[in-house]
Formats: sequence, structure tokens, C-alpha cells
Amino acid sequence: MTTESKTIQTVAGAKRKAWVGTLSRVAKYTALRSVTMLITVVIGIYLTILIANMGGYVDEIMRGQIREQVAMTLRNQEEYKQLSQEAKDARFQREVMDEEQRLGLNQPFIVRSFRFLWDGLTLNLGTALRMTSDTGSRQVRLIILERLGPTLLLMGTSQLLLFFTSVYLALILSRKYGSFFDRAVITLSPTSSAPSWFYGIFLILIFAALLRILPFGGMIGAPPPENSWEYTLDVLKHIILPASALFVSLIFISIYNWRTFFLIFSSEDYVEMAKAKGLSDREIERRYVLRPTLPTIITSFALMLISLWTGAIVTETVFNWPGLGRTLFSAVGQYDTPVIVGLTIIYAYLLAITVFLLDFIYALVDPRVKVGGRQKKA
Amino acid sequence: MQKKLLAIFGIVVALALVLAACQPTTDTTQPTPETIIETVIVTEEVEVEVVVTEVVTEIVEVEAEVERNGAWLDTVVILAEPSTESAVARIIADDIDVYAQAATSVEALATVEEEGLKYISTVGSYNEFTLSPGGPVLNDGSLNPFGVPKIREAMNYLVDRNYVVQEILGGLGIPKFLPLNGVFPDYARHVDVARELENKYAYDPEMADSILTPEMEALGAEKVDGVWQYEGEPVTLIGIIRTEDERLQMGDYFANQLESIGFTVDRQYKTSSEASPIWLLSDPQEGLWHFYTGGWITTAISRDDYDVFQFFYSPNSAYGFTPLWQNYVITDEYLDVSEKLANGNYATLEERAELFREALYLALENSYRIWINDATAFSPMDPTVTVTYDLAGGISGTPLWGHTMRYTDEIGGQVVMAMSDALVEPWNPLAGSNWVYDMAPMRATGDYGTIPDPYTGLTWPQRVESAAITIVEGLPVGKTLDWLTLDFAPEIQVPGDAWVDWDAENQVFITADEKLAMMAEEEPAEGEEAVEVPEYFTAKRKSVVTYPADLFEKHTWHDGSPMSPADFVMGMILSFDPGTEGSVIFDESQIGSVESFKSSFKGMKVVSTDPMVIEYYSDVVYLDAEWSVADFWPYYSYGEGPWHMLAIGILAETDEELAFSGDKSEALEVEWTNYISGPSLDILKANLDQAMEEDYIPYAATLGEYITAEEMDLRYANLLDWYRIQGHFFVNSGPFYLNKVFPVEKTLTLTRYQDYQDPAGKWDRFGVPQIAEIEIDGPGRVTTGEEVTFDAYVTFQGEPYPSADIQVVNYLLFDATGILVDRGDAELVDEGLYSVTLSADATGALEAGSNKLEIIVVPTVVSVPTFAQFEFVTE
Repeated sequence: MTTESKTIQTVAGAKRKAWVGTLSRVAKYTALRSVTMLITVVIGIYLTILIANMGGYVDEIMRGQIREQVAMTLRNQEEYKQLSQEAKDARFQREVMDEEQRLGLNQPFIVRSFRFLWDGLTLNLGTALRMTSDTGSRQVRLIILERLGPTLLLMGTSQLLLFFTSVYLALILSRKYGSFFDRAVITLSPTSSAPSWFYGIFLILIFAALLRILPFGGMIGAPPPENSWEYTLDVLKHIILPASALFVSLIFISIYNWRTFFLIFSSEDYVEMAKAKGLSDREIERRYVLRPTLPTIITSFALMLISLWTGAIVTETVFNWPGLGRTLFSAVGQYDTPVIVGLTIIYAYLLAITVFLLDFIYALVDPRVKVGGRQKKA
Repeated sequence: MQKKLLAIFGIVVALALVLAACQPTTDTTQPTPETIIETVIVTEEVEVEVVVTEVVTEIVEVEAEVERNGAWLDTVVILAEPSTESAVARIIADDIDVYAQAATSVEALATVEEEGLKYISTVGSYNEFTLSPGGPVLNDGSLNPFGVPKIREAMNYLVDRNYVVQEILGGLGIPKFLPLNGVFPDYARHVDVARELENKYAYDPEMADSILTPEMEALGAEKVDGVWQYEGEPVTLIGIIRTEDERLQMGDYFANQLESIGFTVDRQYKTSSEASPIWLLSDPQEGLWHFYTGGWITTAISRDDYDVFQFFYSPNSAYGFTPLWQNYVITDEYLDVSEKLANGNYATLEERAELFREALYLALENSYRIWINDATAFSPMDPTVTVTYDLAGGISGTPLWGHTMRYTDEIGGQVVMAMSDALVEPWNPLAGSNWVYDMAPMRATGDYGTIPDPYTGLTWPQRVESAAITIVEGLPVGKTLDWLTLDFAPEIQVPGDAWVDWDAENQVFITADEKLAMMAEEEPAEGEEAVEVPEYFTAKRKSVVTYPADLFEKHTWHDGSPMSPADFVMGMILSFDPGTEGSVIFDESQIGSVESFKSSFKGMKVVSTDPMVIEYYSDVVYLDAEWSVADFWPYYSYGEGPWHMLAIGILAETDEELAFSGDKSEALEVEWTNYISGPSLDILKANLDQAMEEDYIPYAATLGEYITAEEMDLRYANLLDWYRIQGHFFVNSGPFYLNKVFPVEKTLTLTRYQDYQDPAGKWDRFGVPQIAEIEIDGPGRVTTGEEVTFDAYVTFQGEPYPSADIQVVNYLLFDATGILVDRGDAELVDEGLYSVTLSADATGALEAGSNKLEIIVVPTVVSVPTFAQFEFVTE
């Protein structure tokens, strides 16, 4: 065996060892991260269940509602009125018992809370207590799925537009620090303190009530066009105002945030050096500003993507848009725990997976980051 | 750069101005709805209290000789619009035409009036302050003054109902003192007592204080610096104030009033769900609350409010399960009166009226509730649209809306109607959605045997040709309309061949004779004596309904299938089957309602199928013979349905693939049957295929006698075609059919059914509720001890009110202190003119001062009585 081959073997061995070490580190990290994520999700979901049920007090509320509802229903039945007092009491008790059983109130809340948790974690979304989907099904899966399309359409349109517009404009402004546009954005950024529905009302007043060129709300005109091309155009027409409201409400603060962020990187020494070397603005942006900020941009983009899931409760309500935000609002109002858990668990899983994947993505886009690596103590 | 920007900005502004200038202007030539305000003639030096009733008139110009059947409109598009303000803006912008929602926003009403939109007013909900019956000394030793009846009664004087209606509700309401609804027939029947009590308990805070003070002192409380104290602590009243609606302001008002007479009030603002466990389920003796801002709702005109005294005040109420009602202490006298009324233990209407009178007085003396107002709601619409509406249920509450909705200047066309929501729950006739948003379109797609009068609650024949009612002698039943007959008999026998029960396992009816034989064979339980088996069954009421001879030729379902006797018999079967053990679609949640039905049901019989004649026997008796008509038109609790449409649902439920009720669907973990959309449709389609393959006739042992093979084949083939074209299985027979459903978009389209047999305009006579208007004329000064005459002009839209349509014109005379000194009937002088003569004795009973003559008109064609007052001075 020559020295050369020994060296090759040693290098190969070292590489293998390094590879095994990396694999082991990544595997260990993955396992640990998965466990912590799972624990976080479990805690988050259980807290949601506890809060949505006011720690079990909702049972009392529901018992009261059931009795009120049954009494009012029976009072309107002529045959019921003809019954003897004993028969009336028996009928009443039976109806109440049936409804309590249906809603699971015959079990202690603590038992049900763990059942809700387990069903949620295993994605066994089951059936809603009171709500039905738009097509009349009580399956939580369908309640969510039927609203998912409109939600993604509205939120996706507005948030993607918002994200890319603000990043793009922020990059430009970071190069034109102190310019008229830069000062205009800074001046206008407090306008984002008003929520999107506030702008929504104004937009409706201007474009629907006054100018009458855009619809007041809803996802489609009435009656909906039968031709799919016209249907698509009509949906686009209906999405303009709610998407604009969401866009306008956040655009200035978003540009301002990104522009400030890019400014920090734009004033780094290596950027100044690049400028001194005479590199073009585009080259500087791509190589020296965008690249080191990529992990943050990706994080922001990924979190924005999963936030699409949550919808926008008030804006959807103002525009009468059939989205998941309104579904969640309705579920909370009706104490429909399976729906609340269904929506939350999916968001929680999406968030956990995103956070988990982001660690790997950071490592891919930024050579300074190592999955499972620890900072050495000074 | 800045200059360029300014230039661009300038261009944008200019363009916006141009666009704004180009927008369509409001058509000022449109006629604004005429508003008629009831008033009385005002003479000098006389203060007049005016009872104002606004009636929006409708200008209906029906083209003569128009040949059109079914609905006036071609299509109705229904969509969801949760916000009243948005709906009003959309009507103004011509985006929608009608908002068929009971709206209560004062601001929106102001916009409606400013913009000249039309609106209709309805009544149905009502508010009160529930007072806690706990104490007066509670478990924790604190004081609950409302535990003392006198103090509760005094609270009536403390509340200025006119202030609440005018200032808090912006005029959207009517002051309310009694548990009776002010626009329902029982108020009109007892209007003289009602007005007497309303005058007695009129706002008088000093009177309230004068009653309260000795009672509080008797309890050991003392007033220190204007604040009531008990054992050294302020008497604190906890008010549970609902926050969702106008009850928020009302609760604050009541709290202010209580504070003004020395109480300390702890205002706790809560939503319905937060409040319910406290006021309804907590023991009043615990003192968790002292008053609650209650609200109730009625969605249809109640012809008989016989149970209100038991329901609201007695431990025997339907709410008797609650600690609150269990704590109600009522006198033996009140118990006796309320039970007699609730159980119908009276023989004549006069006896009933006397019971009502007693009950009303006792209810006010008891005052567990301080009634505040009957709320008025409005539904705005485009001025060119006209539609019939129910006085309590509004547009969506009457089946007539589909028949009568139209443009005043056009036949056909499309109306866009919005409601707060749409397509809420599955549609199926047996146990589907009962949300008003779903029932409203169903009322237009369905047809009926009889239709409730939207203004009186009496029923009119739609498909029924005639009805004959027989009642056992001695029961107080009357008849108002001429389309039916009413007879009395000493006894009503149920025929031996009438169906009296259902054998769910064998799917056959049990006749009266068979039932009697079964009873005779039944062995008595151990230790019990054998029950004496009667020779025949009897009933308190018999109804015989006859349908037109050509019904089955003329009347077709929307899928083209002619109606047949099987559709009726299916309804008879389904009155029993779902709640009867052994049924293929047995549903535990239906047991209660079927048992209740059977407790008063005595029998039914298909006398003939050509023409269709059905006899029905029951122990349920109503005051109005019109309500005693029992027709088996296949309109179920949750919509209309032909037998073949129901058959595929029954087949699916038999195979445990679907379930008609939400409860059973959950128990089986299958879909809730939905004939219009969702996963149910594929399952129903598969069951339709199966039914066609297997020649399936549901309940074949019974229904098979009424269905031929040809009818079965035709029906299933028609249903399949219908599904291919329409994409759903919802087949009805009304003036509109369900054309398109967009569940996620919350929109649906109803299209005119061209083969509907009735001419358009059949129900147009219900265009406007004929609420009477009164003007009183007479001397402003009257000498005591002298006879005097006043004239009352009773009109409607400026024309004399036909005396044939007036039940009674009463008068009440109150002296200067508000005490009733005389009452009587006004005399008819001429059409629309009545006179009231006060005798010398009556005026002699008046002391010097300002007195009040009140005239009350009770029409027969509308359940709303009209009042007018006239003040005169005696000297």
C-alpha cells in the first residue's frame, strides 16, 4: 500500500466518518426536534381545547342552551300541549337527555378533552357538534375543505401579492435611502395600524356603493354564471376589493419593515466594498444583499404561506367571503370543539412541519448554518 | 420626479371625479311610498295622545286579463347578506331588490326612509325584565326586594315603556304591559281589559316609590342618604344585561331607574350563552342575579295564547325544569285560572274571556316579569317590488311570498332577495333544516292543502276544496270563514275501519276494530285490573277534507309526475313510522314527537281516492274551526315531498347509508340526508338506481295498494331525468322549482314552474294588511251629567272600512285620574262611521279635569286592533 493510497483511504475514511457523523447529528437532531415539536403541538392543542371550552364551563352553558331550546321547541308543538304534566315532564327529560348524550355531555369534560386531543392528533376530525358544511355535511373534514378553496384564493392572492411587492419595492428603496418614495413610505407606514376591514368598508363605499363598478361582497354574483370562463371572471371581480383591503392595510408597513431590514445589510462593509469595485446595483442586490437575507425571507415566506390557512375573520365577514376565518369564528361562537380542534390541529401541524423544514432550508441556503450544530462557548 | 407624480395624481383625481359624475343618479321621479299616519282630530285647548301606526301602502297595478299561471316572477335569486346596513346599501345600488330579514337597526331604517325605499313592518319578538323570585332574604343573608310581590308589581310603574320604545328602539316597537302579544287575536279579544290595565300601570315613578318604601321598611331596610341599606350594607341588585341587541340599553335604563329610587345596581353584561347558566339554571336563593333582560320570539301569528299564563309564571310551565320556574310561588287562584286556560277547561268563549280577565289582573299583581315592548322589525325593499308578508313571520314566514312577489310595473323578471344566511342545513322533508333561511325558499317551492292567512292566522284553502268539521258539543269552537262547515255532535265515533295505529314491522295500519280486539285480548299486568274495552273509539273532533275531482289530472310534481293518492298515504305512514320501533327507518330522536302525536290522535281514513277524501279524528281542539282542518297534503314538517323522492331516502336509510335526522346520522356516523347538495347526492343516486332495478315500493304492504307498476316506473324515470338536468333530488309542486344551488357561494335560484295550475294573482288580495285608521270627532268641553256623542271615522287608505270586516268597535272612558268609568260598544251609523254616546250617568261620574275617551276597532281581516284616544275637558 502506497502512501498515496493510504492518504486516499484516510481521506475517504475521514469523509465517511464525517458523513456518518453528519447523518448521526442530523438524525439525532431530527428525532429531538420531532419530539419537542410534538410536545409543543400537544400542549398547544390541549390549551386550545381548554380555552375553547372555558375549562369545562361550556358544558354548563350548553346544558342551559339545550334546556332552553327543548322547552321552546316543545312549546310550539300542539300535541305536546295536550299531554298531562307528567307526560310533559317525561318528554322534556327524554329530549334533554338525548341531546346531552349526542353532544357528549353525559361524560365529564376532562374525559372528552383527552378524546378531542387524541382525535385531533391522529387527524380523526370526525363530525361537528352543531355546524354543517355548506353542502350540509357534518364531517369536519368537509366543513374545512369546502371553505379552503375560497380562503386560499383570497388569502393567497392578497398575501403573495403583498409579499413579493413589498420585498421588491423594499429592495429598491433600500438603495434609494432618503429619497421621496422612501420618505413617502415612512410617512404612510402608520396607515397600517388600521385593520384591513377598515379599508374594506371604505373600498365598498367607494367602489360598490358610490361608483357601482365593483360588487359589495360575496365570492360570486347572483345568480352565478354557468359558463366557467364567466364564472372565473366573476370571481376575479369579486376578489378585487377584499384582496385590495388586505393588501392596502399592510403594504406600507411591510415595505417599511423589509426596507429597514435590507438597509442594515446594504450598509455592511462587504457591500461597500462591492460598490467600490464597481459592481452593478443588480449584482450587489443579488449577491451581497439578498443572499445573506435569504433565510429571513424564506422564513417569512413560509410562515406567510401557512398563515393563509387561518383566513381573515373580520375581512371575510365584511366582504361576506366564505372563508375559513368565518368558519372558525362561527365554531368558537357555537362551542363546536371538533371544528375548532380540526382547524387548529392542521395549522399546528403545518406550523411544526414548516419550522422543522426551515432548519434544513437554512442549512441549504446559508453555509454558515449547520443542522444540529451548536455554537461553541466562548 | 415629484412634478411627474403630482401630475399623475392630478389625472387620477380628475378621472375619479369624472367617473363619479357619470354614476347613475337617483331617480327622483319614482313615487315614494305613501305613509299614512293614524291620527285624531285635534281641537283647540285639548291635548291629544296619538297612537301612531305606520302603514306603507303598495301601489299594485295588475294588468287586467293577464293570462299567466303560477308566480308573477320568472326567477328569484336568494343569497346571504348578514349585514342590514350592507343590504340597504345594496338595495340603493340596485344590487339586490328585497331584504327578507326582520331588521331592527334604527340607523338602517333612517337610511331606508331617507332614500325612499319601501319597507314592511312585522312584530314577533318581545322583551321583558325577568325578576328573581328568590328571598326576600337570600341564602347569604342579603336582601332581594323582588321576592316581595308588591315590590315586583311596583316595578311596572318605574318603567317608562314609551321612552324605551321611542328613545332606545327608535320607534321600532309597541309598549307592552301584558304577556299577550299586541298584534295577536287574543289581545284584540281582550283589548278592553288590556287597555284598562295599561292605563292602570302607566309610568308613574312616584307611585312606584310610594309602594316600594313601606315594603322595604317592612323588610328591615332603611334609606340612608337616598340609598337603601339592609343590615348596614347597600341593597345591591345584580342585573344580568344581555349585550347582543337593544336589551343592552334597556338593561342600563332599568338599572338607572332602580338607582334613582335608591338601589345600588351591579350591572353584569353578558351574552346569551354566558347568561343562561346564571338566570336559568342557578338557584334564585343563591342571589347570583336579581333581574335579567329577557327576550322572546314568535314566528307566526298565534290564534290562541291560552298557555302564556302558565308558561311565564307557573312552576307547571314548559320551563318548570329550571330552578327559576321552580321558585315561582303563585296563589291558588292564579294556579286555578292558568291551569283552566292551559287545559282548555271552559265551555264557552265568555267563560274563557272571564278567565283571561282574571289571569291578566293576577299576572300583573304577580309581576315575575315586567313586560316592556313588542318589538317591530322591518324588511326593506326596492319601491317597485310588492309582496305579501306575515304580520309576525315577515316575508319569509308566509308561503304566499312566492305567489305574490312581483314588480309593480312588470310581469316576469328576476328579483334578487337577500337574507342573513342561506343554505344552512340539509334539506329533507322529514327531519331536515328548519332554519328560516332554508324554510323561506321551501315555502315557495312547495304547495299546500291550506295556507295560513298572513294577517289573521286563520287558514284558507289552497288545494283543499272543502272541509267539514264536527266538534263534540260543549267545546268553545267557532268559525270565521265560509269555505268550511262547522257542526256539533253529542258524540263522535271513530269508524271501525279507520286507521288508528301503525304496525311498523309488517308495515300496515291497524284499524280501530283490530285495535279494540287487541285490547280485549290483552292480559292485564299482575296486580292490575283488566281495562274495560270500549265498544268503539271516540274523538272530540272530526275533520273531513275533500280535494278537487281533477286534482290528480291537473297537479303535477316539478319532475312532471302527476300527483297520486300514494303521496297522501305516504304522509300518513310517515306520521308514525320513523318513531315506531320495528321500522326500517326507526329513529330514537323521533319517538317523542310520534308519542305526542299518538296521545291525541284517534284515527284517520281514506274515504275515497276519486276524489280524494280523508277523515281525521283527534282529541285536539282549537278555538277556530279553520285550525281543525286536518289535510294530509304531502307537505311534511320540513318541506314538501312526493313518495318517490322520499323512497330513495328511505332506501338509503334502511341500508344505513344516510339518515333523515341529524341525530341519527351522527349515531350511525353517516351523512345527514340532503336532497339538494353534498355527499348525499351520490348515495341517493345509487339508491335511485337500486330502486329502479328492484322495482322498490316503500311500505309495499300498504302503499302497494295505491301505486301501480306504471306509476312507479314513470316516477323513478322522471326523478332520474330531473337529477340529470337539475343536479339535485328536491322535487316539489309549488309555484317555483329549485333550479340551481351554490352551497359555498350561499346562493340559490328559484325558477317559475310553468305547469303550475293556478293563475298568477290568486292570492293578490293579500297585498296590504287592512289595519284600520280612526279619527275621532267631538266636543272638547263636556258638562258633567249631560249626555254627549262622539263620532269615530274608521277608514282604510282613505275609504270607509267595510263594516262586514269589523268584528267590534269598543270604547273605554277614563277619568282625569286614569280610572275606567265606563265602557261599551260604538254604534254603526253608516259605512265607516260609528258613534259613541256617553250617558248622563257616565259623564256625571267624571270630575272636573281632562278625561280620555279611547276607541278600539277590532277588524276580522287583520288581527291588529287599532286604538285612538280623544281628550276632553269636563266642567
